[in-house]
Amino acid sequence: MAARVGDWLDERVGWRRIWEAIFLRKVPKVNWLYTLGSATLFLAVNQIVTGILLTIYYVPTPDHAYDSVQFITGQVPAGWLIRGLHHWGASAMVVLAGLHMLRVILHGAYKYPREVTWFTGVFLLLVVIGFGFTGYLLPWDQKAFWATIVGTRIANVTPVIGETILRIMRGGEELSAVTLARFFGVHVWVLPVALLSLMLVHLYLVIRIGISAMPKRGD
Amino acid sequence: MKESKRFDRRQFLGALTWAIGGIISAGLGIPAIAYIVGPALQRKETQNWLRIGSTAKVELGTPTLFKARVTRRTGWIENEEEISAYVRTDNGREFVAMSNICTHLGCRVRWVSGQEQFFCPCHNGVFDKNGNVVSGPPPRPLDRFEVKVEDDQLFILGG
Repeated sequence: MAARVGDWLDERVGWRRIWEAIFLRKVPKVNWLYTLGSATLFLAVNQIVTGILLTIYYVPTPDHAYDSVQFITGQVPAGWLIRGLHHWGASAMVVLAGLHMLRVILHGAYKYPREVTWFTGVFLLLVVIGFGFTGYLLPWDQKAFWATIVGTRIANVTPVIGETILRIMRGGEELSAVTLARFFGVHVWVLPVALLSLMLVHLYLVIRIGISAMPKRGD
Repeated sequence: MKESKRFDRRQFLGALTWAIGGIISAGLGIPAIAYIVGPALQRKETQNWLRIGSTAKVELGTPTLFKARVTRRTGWIENEEEISAYVRTDNGREFVAMSNICTHLGCRVRWVSGQEQFFCPCHNGVFDKNGNVVSGPPPRPLDRFEVKVEDDQLFILGG
């Protein structure tokens, strides 16, 4: 029965070729370090799912942000789990993306013909760090507030345009309701769109070009 | 030999991958459903006895309006709300407390002493002094609160 439905669909949409291209492609003999990218992808899915769930209760305004987060953690069934997964998943994603990058550097996997994959990967890491920075403010507790004060002041050190960057980041002179709202908007709209687009190109290239083999002595 | 070949290493790992994927999906999916529907299934908080005033204020035979303040928690927000009740007594010992909320669409009813009836301004619902429907669209009599009297003070169960 399942096979017949599969055939019927395949005849019309051709999913088997896509499935084979993605999951049944040939890969060289490699080791477990080559799964770091997939692990990062897995965490990205985790962050998307738990992040969407968090927006069901979270309210990004100074008078509600902290209380709504406390409500999620303390009152909503499994809220502690969803928030916990998002919180720890965020740190794990930065670490895994970093390790993935390190593996690519050490194996020289960024070389021809994979330069574009590398470029998108570098921007993906920046996006992930952007997620971490904007997401850190959202619980609106003391740690979030002061970390963002410090983070935006670091941008302030930039020569000439530093103060402009700080003002754009904060949405004004002070860290305020405007800052919280724009960090939230960037965290749930701007960065996810950037992440998904870059991921699409990154994965397309991985599948199209194939992954690099382990480098040999003299390569 | 042929029988055991039918489920080889490749198939086993494939099945294992699907199984692990299924466990992870269920592990996140089931809490996710609980997370979404949880607050919707929560019963109203326990009710408390609210002191609304002295029994001496109730005129014999005439429903008298009493008000009490309650704190309601919705989500993470606490609100002060006012609960109103019409209290009526025929003998000064037994009291009936009726909600002033029309059972039709929730407007506030008003006691019109000349006609000895409760009148709802929204759709002309009319109730008699016991809260029973006289005319208009209300589907059932006015809701009643449980009442108790302690030291000449009236209490209703609500919140």
